[in-house]
Amino acid sequence: MSTCSPIRITAGRAARLALAASLALAGPAAADEPCQSPYLPKVTAQEDYLYVWTLGVEGWGDGSDKLVTVGVRPGRDDYGKVVSSVSVGGRHEAHHGGFTDDRRQLWMGGLDSSAIFVFDVASDPARPKLVRTHTKFVEESGGVVGPHTFYAIPGRMLISGLSNATDGGGKTALVEYANDGRFVRTVWLPDDAPYGYDVRVNANLNRMLTSSFTGKKNYMRPLPELMQDAEAMKRFGDTMVVWDYHARKPLQTLKVPGAPLEVRWALQPRHDWAFTTTALTSKIWGVFRKDDGSFEAVELATIGDPAKIPLPVDISLSSDDRFLFVSTFNDGTARVYDVFQPRQPKLVHERKIGAQVNMVSQSWDGRRVYFTSSLLANWDKAGAENEQFLKAFAWDGKALTPAFSIDFAGEKLGRPHIMNFGSEALYRGRVAERAPAAGVAEGG
Amino acid sequence: MRPPHRGPLPVSAPGTRCGPAAGRRAPRAAALVLAVALAAGAGAGAGARADTADDGLRFDPPAPGSYALPPIDRVRDRTLLGPDGAPAPLLGLGPRQVALVAFVYRGCHDGAGCPALLAAWKRLDTLVAARDELRGRVRLVTVSFDPARDRPERMAELAAALAPRGDWRFLTAPDPEAIRPVLDDFGQDVLPLAAADGAPTGLLQHVTKAFLVDPAGDVRNVYSAGFLAARVLVADAETVLLEQDRALAAAEAPEAR
Repeated sequence: MSTCSPIRITAGRAARLALAASLALAGPAAADEPCQSPYLPKVTAQEDYLYVWTLGVEGWGDGSDKLVTVGVRPGRDDYGKVVSSVSVGGRHEAHHGGFTDDRRQLWMGGLDSSAIFVFDVASDPARPKLVRTHTKFVEESGGVVGPHTFYAIPGRMLISGLSNATDGGGKTALVEYANDGRFVRTVWLPDDAPYGYDVRVNANLNRMLTSSFTGKKNYMRPLPELMQDAEAMKRFGDTMVVWDYHARKPLQTLKVPGAPLEVRWALQPRHDWAFTTTALTSKIWGVFRKDDGSFEAVELATIGDPAKIPLPVDISLSSDDRFLFVSTFNDGTARVYDVFQPRQPKLVHERKIGAQVNMVSQSWDGRRVYFTSSLLANWDKAGAENEQFLKAFAWDGKALTPAFSIDFAGEKLGRPHIMNFGSEALYRGRVAERAPAAGVAEGG
Repeated sequence: MRPPHRGPLPVSAPGTRCGPAAGRRAPRAAALVLAVALAAGAGAGAGARADTADDGLRFDPPAPGSYALPPIDRVRDRTLLGPDGAPAPLLGLGPRQVALVAFVYRGCHDGAGCPALLAAWKRLDTLVAARDELRGRVRLVTVSFDPARDRPERMAELAAALAPRGDWRFLTAPDPEAIRPVLDDFGQDVLPLAAADGAPTGLLQHVTKAFLVDPAGDVRNVYSAGFLAARVLVADAETVLLEQDRALAAAEAPEAR
């Protein structure tokens, strides 16, 4: 049985907790999104919904950013269909978001306006409601711009910024809010590694990792134009920072050239490492704990042909730490690496998902994998290549098999970005029913 | 303060939910104490001996006072019931004190839930009582969120079984309505757990949480099940106490007058 996070203090304790959970659930305790915060309740069976944070497109419907809820439970009438959609009004460069530690609320950010939209997903998981909009993130945080990762910690939301209000560059900070929206604090990244992107905690080790991207002046520019600007292309991050999580203090700056983006800690006990990929250099990197307790960053593999700039943008590590999914935007491809030997990733599967692809999310049991298409409004491709979709696949350990897809352009919804999993069982106060044996209906 | 919860409350995570298999009867007092003992015992070598280097913690907490714990939330000091049935404050803190508050219910026999929390508080009680500079300044509070069944005499039973060495209080409320504002203040979710067929089980599901609170009612840290390492909680309590000492010393200094 898998443990659900890197939080467990010992393997023995993990086993005991998993047993307790299985008793409590009267069903299997093995299914759901492995990359979520260790402090977050996990969906432990088949997910019912995907919450898809979607950028508005002028002329498509109301043109506003929206949270789109898609049914994903096989056998139900809403399987593979849009269940509901909540427009937030205006376009804010909808990007990432995450649940609070009680999983009652989903906070979603806009990289352009720095607005934060808070949805109640507990009252009716099929129809989230917009309950609060934060418009003072920049002011309250002391000038942080571009709320990116939303990471649940007890009683709070930890948010990594991308930029700042002073110069629109990459110097940025981590910002904390209480679950009720009260500003708690801002912690700026260190001077020798000022850029930010993702933030992930290994509570077992009291270590936090941050990665680095670029500032607003770059991420809001059209990509072809940006790539022709040699000076602007120098202003990308090339560091990761290892933090004392409890103290929120930087301990080490690791050199990781080429804009390391998403960070995924291994989940199993004593797997003291994390993965990332670099957008500009197309590499997989590992961050490994050494015997002395410090960390080292190691280049592990090349993704595709770096000369063609595949642009790895998202990764997903299976809950057993076996498979690392990598999506590369420019070639619209998903690559699956066997990382059983974490220092020697082995490419085991490759599949074209679309003309462009961005986010990849898998269920806890790894049987279902979902992809969306949009990176940033000004970085998405143009013309016929501007495909906008949500695509679901089954994964059998060897190959991805299509399950269903939704054409977000055809349905005039927008550019789909991050996905979060929803479950009725989380909120209905029932002992969970057993999950269906099959993960995804085939050929839907 | 948090707004009142509306609608159903969430199921907790594996390992953080209280509520065993449907249809099981709530345990007797002895069973809960046994569960606490087992939780503590399971932690021996993995958490019970938190005052030693072999407590299973894979890191040393940062030094007390070397880091900040900014206020996260503010809670009111409401009146509840003590184990003797008399009114008792939830916190009742003086200016040089902090409270570590944990919500539990006696009917819980998920070893990873309330028993684990009580076991952590038992370890904390031992640690705090052993240190002169902390004894009397760190108050442990255990509050039942099931006041309909956890009457004062049942909390007294629990207190007797756990035999506090220091300042450890066991509280309940006159009725479920009276505990609701406290739970809302802390953002502590509680939901009756039904069986898969909808039949009531008498069990409650909740995310297991604990809170460090200062005399002003500011919540200075929040802890989840699985992250209840006593050495970390003590370091946090000391951090806030050091902050109080510095503030009071500054206020009493001649130049401050």
